[in-house]
Order: sequence, then C-alpha cells, then structure tokens
Amino acid sequence: MTDVIARPPDLVPASPPAPAAESLAERLLRTQAPQRPQSAPAIRLEVDGRVVEGREGQTILEVCRDNGIEIPTLCYEPKLPGFGACRMCVVDVEGEEHPPISCSRAAEAGMVVRTQTEEVRRLRRTNLELIFSDHNAYCLPPCQNKCPSHIDIPGFLKANAEGEFRESARIFKRTIPFPSILGRVCPAPCEEHCRRDEVDEAIAIRDSHRYAGDQVIREMVERDVDPPLPFELQPPTGKRVAVVGSGPAGASAAYYLLIAGHDVTILERDEAPGGMLRYGIPEYRLPKARVLEPEYESITRLGGRFECGRELGRDFSLDDLQNQGYDAVVLAIGCYDTNKLGIPNEDAEGVIDGLEYLKIATLGHTYPGHAGTRVVVIGGGFTAMDCVRTSVRQGAAEVTLVYRRDMKDMPAASEVHEAIEEGVTTIFQAGPTRVLVDEATGRVTGVEFIRMQLGAPDASGRRRPEPAPGTEFVLECDRVLLAIGQGPDLSWIGPGNEGAQATKQRRLRADAVTFETGRAGVFGTGDVRNGAQTVVQAIADGRRAAYAVDAYVRGLDLGAIRTRQTLAEPQPEFLSIVPFTSEVKESRHRLSSLPAEERRSTYVEYEIPYSRSEAVAEGTRCLQCTCEAIGYCDLRRLGIEYGTTLRTLEPRLNRGAGYRSVTENRFTGYNHDYLRDDSHAFILREPSRCIDCGRCANVCAEVVGAACYDFMRIGFDTLVTTPLDMSLNDTPCVSCGRCAETCPTGALMPKPRILEKYEVDESRCILCGICVDACPYDALRCGPDFELAHTSREEPMIDLIAIAAVDRETEMTYVRRERDWAPRALAAGRDIGPRMLPVLPASLAGPGGGNGHAAAHATGDNGHAAAGDAGGHAPHD
Amino acid sequence: MTTILPSPASGPRPLLGDVPAAGGPAPTDLAAAVAGGAFAALRTVVGDLGPTGTLVTIAASGLRGRGGGGFPAGDKWRAVASADDPVRYVVANGYEADPAQATGRLLMETRPFAVVEGAAIAALAVGAREAIVAVRAEYADAVRALEAAAFAAEEAGYLGRDVLRSGRDVAVTIRTVQGAYMLGEETVLLKALEGRRGQPEQRPPHPSERGLFGHPTLVHNVATLAAVPWVVVHGADAFRAIGDPDAPGTMLVQVSGAVAAPGIAEVPTGTTLRTLVDLAGGVAPGRTFKAVLVGGPTGGFLPAELLDTPYTFAALRDAGAHVGSGAVVVADTTTCLVDLARLLVRFSADEACGKTIPCRIGLRRLAEIGQRYADGTARPTDPQLLVDLADDCAASALCDHERLAPSPLRTAMRYFGPEIDDHVLRGTCPAGVCGPVRLAAAAGRQGGPR
Ligand SMILES: Cc1cc2nc3c(=O)[nH]c(=O)nc-3n(C[C@H](O)[C@H](O)[C@H](O)COP(=O)(O)OP(=O)(O)OC[C@H]3O[C@@H](n4cnc5c(N)ncnc54)[C@H](O)[C@@H]3O)c2cc1C
Ligand SMILES: Cc1cc2nc3c(=O)[nH]c(=O)nc-3n(C[C@H](O)[C@H](O)[C@H](O)COP(=O)(O)O)c2cc1C
Ligand code: SF4
Ligand code: SF4
Ligand code: SF4
Ligand code: SF4
Ligand code: FES
Repeated sequence: MTDVIARPPDLVPASPPAPAAESLAERLLRTQAPQRPQSAPAIRLEVDGRVVEGREGQTILEVCRDNGIEIPTLCYEPKLPGFGACRMCVVDVEGEEHPPISCSRAAEAGMVVRTQTEEVRRLRRTNLELIFSDHNAYCLPPCQNKCPSHIDIPGFLKANAEGEFRESARIFKRTIPFPSILGRVCPAPCEEHCRRDEVDEAIAIRDSHRYAGDQVIREMVERDVDPPLPFELQPPTGKRVAVVGSGPAGASAAYYLLIAGHDVTILERDEAPGGMLRYGIPEYRLPKARVLEPEYESITRLGGRFECGRELGRDFSLDDLQNQGYDAVVLAIGCYDTNKLGIPNEDAEGVIDGLEYLKIATLGHTYPGHAGTRVVVIGGGFTAMDCVRTSVRQGAAEVTLVYRRDMKDMPAASEVHEAIEEGVTTIFQAGPTRVLVDEATGRVTGVEFIRMQLGAPDASGRRRPEPAPGTEFVLECDRVLLAIGQGPDLSWIGPGNEGAQATKQRRLRADAVTFETGRAGVFGTGDVRNGAQTVVQAIADGRRAAYAVDAYVRGLDLGAIRTRQTLAEPQPEFLSIVPFTSEVKESRHRLSSLPAEERRSTYVEYEIPYSRSEAVAEGTRCLQCTCEAIGYCDLRRLGIEYGTTLRTLEPRLNRGAGYRSVTENRFTGYNHDYLRDDSHAFILREPSRCIDCGRCANVCAEVVGAACYDFMRIGFDTLVTTPLDMSLNDTPCVSCGRCAETCPTGALMPKPRILEKYEVDESRCILCGICVDACPYDALRCGPDFELAHTSREEPMIDLIAIAAVDRETEMTYVRRERDWAPRALAAGRDIGPRMLPVLPASLAGPGGGNGHAAAHATGDNGHAAAGDAGGHAPHD
Repeated sequence: MTTILPSPASGPRPLLGDVPAAGGPAPTDLAAAVAGGAFAALRTVVGDLGPTGTLVTIAASGLRGRGGGGFPAGDKWRAVASADDPVRYVVANGYEADPAQATGRLLMETRPFAVVEGAAIAALAVGAREAIVAVRAEYADAVRALEAAAFAAEEAGYLGRDVLRSGRDVAVTIRTVQGAYMLGEETVLLKALEGRRGQPEQRPPHPSERGLFGHPTLVHNVATLAAVPWVVVHGADAFRAIGDPDAPGTMLVQVSGAVAAPGIAEVPTGTTLRTLVDLAGGVAPGRTFKAVLVGGPTGGFLPAELLDTPYTFAALRDAGAHVGSGAVVVADTTTCLVDLARLLVRFSADEACGKTIPCRIGLRRLAEIGQRYADGTARPTDPQLLVDLADDCAASALCDHERLAPSPLRTAMRYFGPEIDDHVLRGTCPAGVCGPVRLAAAAGRQGGPR
C-alpha cells in the first residue's frame, strides 16, 4: 500500500501511567505499539445460517476463517490484501446480483452470506476445470494413474535405483501384497503409459517389482526373514473376519485386514489356496512352489488361516458363518461359470470348458487324449491364451486360436506373439456359428465360423464385431476349448444365504465403495463383483474392500466412510489419507533388515531375469514424474474436493507434448507447455504448474521487496514469471523462499537440500528486519527486544530433504501449511530425530547440550505461534 | 478525419456542437470558444450553483456515463463528494479501447474545451483539486488539442489556482497512456496512471470510494464530461427532454461496415438502429444487409428484425448487445457471422489482462468453441457448454470485459442459429468465408457420421 492513513486519534490507546516497578520485558512489550487498532468495532453477520462476529474492516473471508468456516482460496495470501485473481472464494451474499469474492469484500453488519450454495460451488468447479484444462502437469505419474491399484511406481523404482529392494517391495505392498506374482502375470497397463517412452522406451515396471519381490521371497525362504510390512501392524482388535475364496481378491483383503489387527480365516473350496493363480494360470507363467506359495505365506505369517476344501453352499452357509460369530464375511469367490456360445452342438463330445482343462493342466497332469489332436480354442482372453499355449506344451498336433475381434482388442494381446512363436495359428475377426459333429460317434469334427466386420464402438470403446453374411468357413478339428469368458457361480444364493443378490449381469451385487452386499455384514469383492478381470484389479478390489470391512467391524458409519473411502484411494484424483497409513505415515525407517552391504555380498539368483545391477539401472531410468507438490498442493486438494480432477488425457500418437498430460475435462483445448527452470540453487520453478494466481509476484514485490516475478504477456498466454522469462538466478532474488512458500501449487518449490547452519555476524547486522519478513518459515521474529531478533532461532531451520520424503509418502504437510508442525508431529508420536533437524550452534541450543529441540517443541508453545500473527510484527504494512 | 454525419432531427448537439465551418477558428482557439459559450457553465458553477447545486443539477439531468456502463453520473458524483477523504480526483477516460473507434478522438480533437471544462466542473463539484484527462498516446492530435486548450484556459484563469477567483484550485492535466485494450477499463486506467500493473481491481470498493492512489476518484468517459457544460448552461430539464427519458441526452455513434457513408453521428438516445444505418446512407449499394454489430468487439449481432431497437443502454442489453464503445457495424451477406464472432471472441481472449482464471482461460475456451463452429468440428455439447461457460464467467467476473466478451457468439447463436447449423451440421459456410469447414466436413463424412 502506498498511502499511510493516519490512525483516527480516538483510536489511539491512551497510554496508562507507567507503574513504578515495571519489568524490562513489560516495558518493552508496551513500547511495541499495536500495529492495528485492536478495538475496531465488532459487527455481526450471518454466515451459513449462523450468526458470527467479526470486526469492522475485515473481509468476509477473514471473518469466516476466524469463525472456522472454510472458504476455498488459491490466490489469497494472508499477509496481503485480497488480490481477486482466482475467483475461488466467491460467496453468495443476499441481495447481490453477482456473488462477490470474499477475500476482497468487506464484511458488513447484517450481511447474509452463504458459502456453499449450489451456484458458488458450481462457479468454483468451473474455475477449477478451467485451470486443469491448462494445467500441463501430473499430480501422480501416468503409470501410477493407470495401474489399477495405483502403486507408487516412481517410489519403488527409486528404491530399486538405490538398491533398496526390500524398501521397494514394502512400497509396493502398500497397495499390493504380491510383487512377485504381479511381476509375472500382470498385463502391465502401467507400462503403456510410461512417459519414459518420450525419451526412449517405457520403463520395465513389472520386471522391476518382480525383482524386488523375488529378493524378499529369497530372504524369507533362505533365511526366514519376514517379508516387509507396508504399515505398522495394529494391535489385535478381537474382531473376526471370514474371507470366502482364496484368489487374489480374497488374499489381498485378508492381508490388509490382518495388518489392521483383525483375526482372519480364509475358507477355500479347492484343496489349496490361490484361486485362478493356482488353477488357472499355468506353471510356466507363475511357478506355484517358488512364487505363489511363498508370497501367500505372508498371509499365514501374519496369522491368517486357510481352511481348504470348504465350499460356500455345500459345506457352510452365510448363516453358519455369522452364527459362528464372525463379525464380517468377505465373499471373493471369483468367476467359475464358463459362458456358453449358444450355438448348435455346443455340448458335443470334444467340446471342453477351457477352465476345467487348465485346472487339470496346472496340477501338472496331462489332459487325457490331448496329444496329437487338432485343437481349436475360441476366445481371446487370458484363458484362451493359456489354453493354446498349454495345448502346445501338451503335444497337440495343431493349435488354432479364433477370436472374434481384432488382435489389438485382445485383453492378452501381449502374449499373442509368444504363442505364434510357439506354433499357434491365429484367426481374428471370426465367430463360431455351429459345431460340426460326426453323426455316428457324436464327436466333434470341426467348427463353422463366420467372418466378423467391425461395427460401431461399444461401451468399452472397442468396435462391436458384426457377422458378415456369406463368409462362413469351416475349421476341422478334434477338440474345441471354450474360453469365451466366465461369470460367477451364484447358485448358492438361497436358504441360509438370504440377502445376497445377483445383478442383471449375473454378478454379486456389492457397492463399489463400501462393498456391502444386500446382506448386513457380508461384503463382496474381486471377480465375483466385477466379472472376470485381471489379477491386479482383483487385488485392488480386495484391498479397498478391506478398508470398508475394517471400518465396518470398528463400528464406523459406512455411509460416512463412503467419502473417506473415496478419499483413501490413492488415485490421481484422490489424496492418500488411507486409514491404515495415517498412523504410520512416517514409518520409512528400516525394519529389521540386513545391512545392504551384507545382502550385496551373499546373493545371485539364476532364475531372476534381472541382475541386481540391471534392476538398479532400470530404476534409475525412471523420470520420477510425480509432482513434488503432491500432498500440499491446494489446487489438487480443491480439485479433489470439487471432483474436477477426474480423467487424465492419455498419450495420443503423434500429438505434441501439450496434449499428453493435462487433465481432460469439458474445456480441454490448447494448453501451455513451459520449460522448467532449475537453475536456481534453492528454488525450483515449473511454470507449467503455475495457475497465475500472482501470489509469488505480490509477495516478492510487496513483502520481500525484490520483485522477481510479474505477470508477463496478456490474454491466455499470461504467465507469472520472471522478466523476459530469465532464469530466477539472474533476478535480484534473495533466496528467501517466500515465493515457494506461498505458491499454492507445485510451480515454485523449495529445492530439496540440506540447510547448513547459518551464523549471524552481529557486528554487521544493521537490524533492517528484512530477514524477519522474508523467512518463509517464520523462523525469525521481532522479539520485544529487536536487536536480539535472530536469537529467536530456537525454532529450528528445517531439513527440506526430510520434508520431501515425508510428503511423498504421506501427502501431508507440516511445514507449509502448519507453522506449528513440530509440536504436532511430536504430539502425534512422530520421531523428529536429528535427521530432521539441523544441529544448532551450541550458543543457541537449549540447556544440557544436544540440540534440545525435542524439549522445546514438546512444550507445544514457545512463543512462536504468538509471534506469527498477533501484534508482534515489525511495522511493515 | 472521420466524417461527421448529420443528426437525425435538428435537435441540440451538446457534444459536438455546430459543425465548424471550413476555415473557421481552430478548436483550440480560446477566444473563439468562449465566444461560442465555452466556460459559461464554469462561471455558473462558481457563481451560482456551487458544488451542491451542480450535483443537484447533474443528478436531475439524468445524465448517464457514456463509457459503456450507463451508470447514473449523479450517483457517482455524490459518492465522491461525500467521501471522508479530503483528497479526491477526477479522471476523464479518453483511452478509447475499441481499436476501430474514433468518437472520443473526434470529440477531443474538435471540442477540447468542452472536455476540459466538464472535467473542471466535475472537480469543483466533487471537491477535487486535480482532474486528469487520460488520453491514448496514439491520439497525438487529441493530446495536442487538449494540452493547448488546458494551457490556454489556465492562462486565462479558468483553471489552475483560484479558478475564476472562487478561491478553489483545479488543475487539469493531460496524461497519455499506452497499453492494451483493457486499459480502457477504469481500474486499469487508474493503475496505469499510478504506474502499476495493468490489471483490474475488484469492485467494490469502487473508484468513487478508493480510486487513484487510494483516494476517491470520479472516473468518466470524456463524452460524459463533455456533456456537463451543456447541462449546466441549459439546465437539467432541457437535457432531460432530449432522447430517451431513462437515459437522456445524446450519444456519439460511429456507423461503419457495409454502409454507403460511414461516419460518426451525434444522436439522441433512443434513436433506432435503423435510423442510425440510414444516417450513414443506408446499406451500401449492391450489398445486402445481414446483421448489425452493436457495441464493438464485445458487442452483439442483431438481425434485421431488431433494427427498430432503440439505441439505449437497457434496450440493447435486453437484445444481447450493449452500447459499449458506441460502434455500430453493418455486416452484409458476404460476412460470415460465425467467422466474425469467433474472431471477435478470440480478440477479447487475447486482449484479456490475464488476471482472473475465468477470463484468462474461460474466454480462450469460448473462442475455441467458436473456432470449432467455424471449422465445422463442433461437438454436440458445445452450444450448451458455451452458454454455461459464458454464464459462469459472467457470474464470477472481475470486470465487465469477461461479462461482455462472449456476446458475439451468444447473439450469433441466439439470432443466427441456422448459420451455425450450416457450419456444424452441413459443413457449409453460406457466406463462403470459412474454407476449412468444407474440408473438415468432407473428412468427417468419410469417417461416417460423427
Ligand atoms: C486361465 C486364466 C488366466 C489368467 N491369466 C491372467 C493373467 O495372466 N494376468 C491377470 O492379470 N489376470 C489373469 N487372469 C484373470 C485373473 O486370474 C482373475 O481376474 C483373478 O484371479 C480374480 O481373482 P478373484 O480373487 O476375484 O477370483 P479367483 O482367483 O477366481 O478366486 C476365487 C476363489 O474362490 C474359490 N471359490 C469359488 N467358489 C467358492 C465357494 N462357493 N466356496 C468357497 N470358495 C469358493 C475358488 O476356488 C477360488 O480359489 C486369468 C484368468 C484365467 C481364468
Ligand atoms: C474492457 C473494457 C474496456 C473499456 N474501455 C473503455 C474506454 O475505452 N473508454 C471508456 O470511457 N470506458 C471504457 N470502459 C468503461 C470504464 O471501465 C468505465 O466504466 C468508464 O470509463 C466510466 O465512465 P462513464 O461513467 O462515463 O461511463 C471499458 C470497460 C471495460 C470492461
Ligand atoms: S501442482 Fe498440484 S495439481 Fe498440479 S500436478 Fe502438482 S500436485 Fe497436481
Ligand atoms: S501391478 Fe501391474 S499395473 Fe501395477 S505396477 Fe505392476 S505391472 Fe504395473
Ligand atoms: S518415467 Fe517413471 S514415473 Fe514416469 S511414467 Fe515412467 S515409470 Fe512412471
Ligand atoms: S508460481 Fe506464482 S503465480 Fe504461479 S501458481 Fe505459484 S504463486 Fe501462483
Ligand atoms: S479471488 Fe479470493 S482467494 Fe482468489
């Protein structure tokens, strides 16, 4: 502000006569004149139906914040007057044509304000959508976005790159308990979206977690080292959960329920646990004894019990389970009802259910009479691929795969080439019309097919195949394996199992968020709920179901967890505040792992596709596409709250980088792609993430006085940047970090670094106080005795590396938003060890040597918070 | 110089006065001007009316701002006059943002004394000691005329220290400002005068409360102020009797486009658009009328059926256009409105100051929808999206720019739907302007129905 408005004389507090024996501190306090008239008249207004009190001269926003009413803001910087750029703080004021912005609008007595009307929420949503339509940045990397379980891929790759494979597996297990299984059977949708292919080739994400997982198995098998736990094991809750079905969905639900402290029993129909992993996926893709069993052992090691040979509907009912005192039942019984073709002679001898065939084969038995035959496999999914490749391995004379769509539409397309290499003939775009049978023997002699042409795209985006009349042809064969998909077997629904219902698509009806079925205390997850999908999807579903079941047995309101549950899922659009992680978010300490040195010297495993150095090298290739701001980005938080960060534009062939990464919404159009500026030693600039809120420019000019940034250019191309886009290094920047602190997004960030201790040369300090204003963390303050300002650095400087690590994992911020982070962290039982805090010079450290911070913080209040806002600041405004 | 068109009836012309005879005295000739009545109003204000009387007269005259918004001048004057702050300013907005517009320029060049006198009267009335006429730097002639007029008037004691021995000081300064379109917006103009970043400020507080350097400031278009001396001399009732009773007086309108004799006319408010076109000689020979764009780059297209719309703030707003800069452009059948609308919205998007999100990104997205219309690649959801986005931008707008900028597209949709359909559904441009339409449509047809 340029003008100095004289304080009206009647507001100057008459100074009382100084008492005789006044302490030095008191006198100093008194001579610090209040900066604002403390006695502005009170006003009352109505906000959201509640009468609140404020003071004259406050904005609506200030009044609301003082009264604990949250209004979203992006451009508002508390140290400065409202700026009015983001329009997020619009509120409804009765009698106004257009909703005013609360950060700039003075509160008036008697105003009737509503902060959450349909209209203002819509306006905020539109604003966010507009921002995201030009926000050329990833919150989470596209790989993580595309992994159905949203694994922290750059996280575990980074651990791989550092050779910390156990840590890598631990990160993986936060969302999927089985890195080695997935490392073999996952179709790896993540890799299709890896940005590294812009540089050269996508990262081998799947092989990387396979390597890390295999190391864990090795340690467990050879030295009985427990697999790492992703989260702290919770104390027993005494709640009992029955999981029916031991496939990936059931196993994953069991795993996370066990970590949450519940008692879990898994009831399985077959002789051994694993579901499709054991009886569907062949040994050559997933070794049972070497991979499946050891990874499943992580469940038994946590105290989970498998009870095999127990079938729902045959051996027990839901009534039975609930009568036995199970607090919750999770149904994860998969899909075992093979679909029918619906064509003549389908039941002829020689037409075999592919799943049954595979079950025999995976048990290591030869399917009777398969050798030497001509086999036709109908279908295009995993089952079909496994059927053809197993048939080849079992000595079939001729194997033909027929699929009604195009090759690129095959769910298991990646395997086709391997199958062709193994001698399989493939025919695409043909559908069976009838099975030909030898009248005399009743045996199959061939199948008649008809050519398919592609019609309009269906719901899945694939074009629907339609038969082309007159293009019939016949394939002669001895055996037909049907692999055209499965649905769940729900024949057990009925007496004893009332309440459970089937959907129109013949699946188990279960809520997508709470996983509740029609029967109280019974949950459904995995293929039985979704229809046949993939292992990774089943596992993700199982984990999410575990959250819901956990909430249910703890007696939380499932309706209420619906929001939290949605929030819990670490999707790009959702913050990761998973119930499990909230207690253990700082647990990146090493569990009882062997020193890396020792591991390095003991181990080379021949079956493992990567050598250690290859695995490390692959990890190093990762571009770490995550946004550093994740977890404290206001834009992302609001985007989540307003549901505007939904889909991310997928890479399109031959489209410029500008089209690759922005969030897709109704406004998507041209967008900017700016260069990153990392020339500055302390501040990282990523202008593509800038939302032009102007905070950095205003703070830098008006609080710091350096004026390194301003709005450049006009119109859509406006960007808050340095003059002429010069490197920040070349501006008069004083490296105070204020801009990075105020930036609501990841456009300006403190560069990870370790702060050295700073020493003040008192003989040269001119007491200008600029450091006090400029320090982004309020580590300095004007004490009553200003000359000693710098000694108030009993508040620590902050180790930014530690913060970055914390943020990545917890998506929580202590430093940026919460000035009293340290007491809070301590109160939460978090260890602020020496790694977090730099060592202070002995002269400043508290009594008793050491650095004494813990003690200072544990008291919770050392005057710092008071110095922050109230009246203690040096005259500056 | 732009042709001055005849006024419709032989009513008074408070703004332009009588058309000067060729070879007559220069507009900056003080003696000639005084002989023609200049500064008579200032004398009345100093001698009879006093500040309060002047305020009452202006309020009673019903004068409304000519800068586009049409806000009652009396209310603004009273707000500034009753402010607590003793330091106040008057700013005459002579920026004239619309690049195709010259009414203000004509006024400043031909009637500099009216502008200067109006500013001085306003300053006396609201208690300001300084009035600043901010003129677009490119208007070198206007700047010279105003400077000469202000200098001569000060020499003669009409301005400066102790105006007409009233004991009041009024300095009238001429300042040149240079910048983009948005500079015409009042808060931007004020910031430019302060030497700050050219972006609008949130209102309220209005400039009348917190304006130049934080002090109460009366901002008026030069045409608003130029009407003031006439009002004072002839009285509020005489002014009220001219034109539309709700917004009386005359306005400067620049009629251009496919007309026979383009030029600027001073017309009573409420004159119909048809009359305006006729004043400019009607539609040019050999051309066929299609639409009239009223209000400049952020104006609206009105069809032939609406030619009887009176030129008033309210009637134009209801029709989807606005007075804006005072531009009336006739588009004939060789013009593609889809093409023109998208260009205009893109212009507005590119000229936006870039401060607020709905304006910086929203206008661009609107322009992109317009582009899709022109290309024949619009999505089925686009019409609704356009309306929704324009509404949302207007609701959370910081300044009027983003409220008005979608007008060309909105009126094109409202009145010329079939033309848009031709582009979007049939891939043809009736005016034969949009080339890519046919290409895009042909490509689309090959790939089956979109
Ligand atoms: C041949 C084949 C190959 C595949 N290959 C791949 C691949 O390479 N990659 C991939 O990602 N996905 C693959 N899939 C898909 C994947 O296996 C499934 O999506 C996934 O296993 C589903 O997990 P689930 O836990 O929901 O069900 P399942 O794995 O089917 O587990 C269900 C379990 O419940 C048990 N059960 C069923 N009914 C009852 C009952 N009434 N009472 C008690 N227990 C019961 C079953 O015995 C089984 O153990 C393949 C599928 C098949 C069929
Ligand atoms: C984008 C934009 C451009 C404007 N340009 C001008 C202009 O060139 N001249 C002008 O007098 N008013 C312009 N205005 C209107 C001014 O903001 C302001 O309302 C006007 O100067 C007030 O004068 P009045 O009371 O005489 O109408 C513009 C407004 C906007 C939103
Ligand atoms: S700046 Fe915020 S919204 Fe943008 S990518 Fe980073 S975390 Fe996501
Ligand atoms: S589980 Fe699958 S999708 Fe997820 S990271 Fe691994 S390979 Fe990628
Ligand atoms: S480079 Fe790394 S973070 Fe980026 S998409 Fe690929 S695997 Fe994910
Ligand atoms: S860089 Fe500056 S203008 Fe951009 S988002 Fe951050 S604070 Fe706002
Ligand atoms: S406009 Fe109020 S916080 Fe941005």
